[in-house]
Amino acid sequence: MPGTYYFVIVGTKDNPIYEAEFTQGADASEGSPMKEDQKHLSQFIIHTALDVVDELMWCYKESYLKVVDKFNEWYISAYVTSNGMRFMLLHDTTNPEGIKNFFTDVHELYIKVLLNPFYEINSPITSRAFDNKVQQLKRKYLL
Amino acid sequence: MSLYKQDKRQVCESCFDYIFIEMVHYFNDIDNSTDKEKELKSSKLEQMGYLTGQSLAERLTGDRSRFTDNLDVIKFVCKDFWSTIFKKQVDNLKTNHKGTYVLTDNNFKWFSKMSSNSGQEDFKKEVLPYLSFPCGIIRGVLSNLGINCTVLADVNPPNQCIFQIKTVKS
Repeated sequence: MPGTYYFVIVGTKDNPIYEAEFTQGADASEGSPMKEDQKHLSQFIIHTALDVVDELMWCYKESYLKVVDKFNEWYISAYVTSNGMRFMLLHDTTNPEGIKNFFTDVHELYIKVLLNPFYEINSPITSRAFDNKVQQLKRKYLL
Repeated sequence: MSLYKQDKRQVCESCFDYIFIEMVHYFNDIDNSTDKEKELKSSKLEQMGYLTGQSLAERLTGDRSRFTDNLDVIKFVCKDFWSTIFKKQVDNLKTNHKGTYVLTDNNFKWFSKMSSNSGQEDFKKEVLPYLSFPCGIIRGVLSNLGINCTVLADVNPPNQCIFQIKTVKS
């Protein structure tokens, strides 16, 4: 499906901290069997790409690692922060500028989450406000 | 509003001084009976500093490229981090190249307004509880930037603070 994106924030222990998927057009909360399989497959693909990201992290000083892996028709882009948090995006259309801006803005949002003294680093982000803002950013940069 | 642009709004520095004093007093007043409890108090303060340091690290390194090497991280701590938190840079950095770093600050900002009634020797003893929090902050910043370490601090009156960072070889 064109315009589908699956975004994960992975912590330092390879645990997912935040996941969001976004499909252009169709309602993302459809529960059809095809969608469920796609979600599991997306998680597997991202997990495989983590190895590649771990290798590339040490070669480059930049945070944005562009496209690190490809699976069938899916591309995986990654962005690594100084603290070892990895932002991974699964997408099927390439848009390097948009994706880079998206990652930078999500990074700022993540820092705001960290400023909350009750938030424990490496734990799942459950804030609705964070979720809403990420969806807004997706609409702004990725579509 | 971006986090990295210079904000026009500012807070008085004494606000932080007061809350810091109160934090240490709170932990000191809980229970002074056994030695084990005294250790727990300083480790609680240190843990608070650790969590603060972790968030601070992410916030202050957000807009710059990642670090390649332990020495780079320590230099960042000595320059950027120290200037942001204490408004000055570390005065002296020594290393033995085997994982131990010694940071000397000749005029530690948080102690600049403190003095002791009973003279220089007792000043050292009284100021020790106030050092757990900064040690925790440094440990938090370093651990979030990839260096596991222990931080110890020492005071030479007046106001000279020496932080010893021992990195754990993995």
